[in-house]
Amino acid sequence: MAKNHRLEILALVAVIIFCILFIYTSSISGNAQFSGSDTAGSEKIAELAGVPPDEIHPLIPQWVPPSAEIESGLFALQAAIGGIMVGLVFGYWIGQKKGTKST
Amino acid sequence: MHIMEGFLPLNWAVFWWAIALPCLVYGIYRLKKVLDADREALPLLGVTGGFIFILSSLKLPSVTGSCSHPTGTGLSAICFGPWITSVVCAIVLLFQALFLAHGGLSVLGANVVSMGIVGPIAGYAVYRGLRETRVNMFLTVFLACMLADMFTYITTSLELALAYPAQVGGVGSSFVLFLGIFAITQVPLAIVEGIVLALVFKYIVQLKPDILLRMKVFPEEKINAARGE
Repeated sequence: MAKNHRLEILALVAVIIFCILFIYTSSISGNAQFSGSDTAGSEKIAELAGVPPDEIHPLIPQWVPPSAEIESGLFALQAAIGGIMVGLVFGYWIGQKKGTKST
Repeated sequence: MHIMEGFLPLNWAVFWWAIALPCLVYGIYRLKKVLDADREALPLLGVTGGFIFILSSLKLPSVTGSCSHPTGTGLSAICFGPWITSVVCAIVLLFQALFLAHGGLSVLGANVVSMGIVGPIAGYAVYRGLRETRVNMFLTVFLACMLADMFTYITTSLELALAYPAQVGGVGSSFVLFLGIFAITQVPLAIVEGIVLALVFKYIVQLKPDILLRMKVFPEEKINAARGE
């Protein structure tokens, strides 16, 4: 039993350690904002290029989500599309396996 | 790992597009060939591509106090190779560029090169190196997925360093600066991603081993040994 589920246990332990690390680092570094590393990278670019980040304009005009709410909704949509694909295929395979067993 | 729209000068944006485009064209050609040869490869593409969609939408906090997201490309690179993976990545990145303002159309080429080409090639190389050896199959998947993730961020750092060399120390020292931002944040995420995708691979082996055998993803003995466990 334990041997069959080694990977599951390992994954669970890794996720728990990851969460504990997050709680620990966010408690000791009170000023960490947990903004994106993309944002941090962009700020560094602005620093290296010697222009403020606001003055870097898109080369190709771009639609920007009007608020963080809308952005998070669209991110959830992206994850949902992936989730539907994964669920559909695993369901299809489970059904196929059952079908071949019963006949 | 997204380079934001406008943050690459025009010449570099064009340069990375010029590398990405031929890879994408070849990827579409390969995809058509694989699907024509075996229709049962389509569900497998759905699972591996689905995980790229899911994992690349999750922005997770990391030890450095900033957030970043995994890429999920390793599994697809193992099953289909880096070229087909680059096509799936291009679709995800296009979605994010158009609707989320993450990345953009001019920097899409650079983002495809880092997430869809260099990362998967690194993962694929590790997988090919270990496939015929005695190294455990799931350990191989873990290493490939983790390195595909890490190399994506290393490539992003390099792309930015080339475009923005530091005044003191040039490309090398700004590469180190960007690695400090992107790569260090990514280490814990890459490890978790590797373990999770190895677990997903275990379920694929249990449910649909025949497609993995037909596509010669791993030698028969390894897959049978994993099923009998």
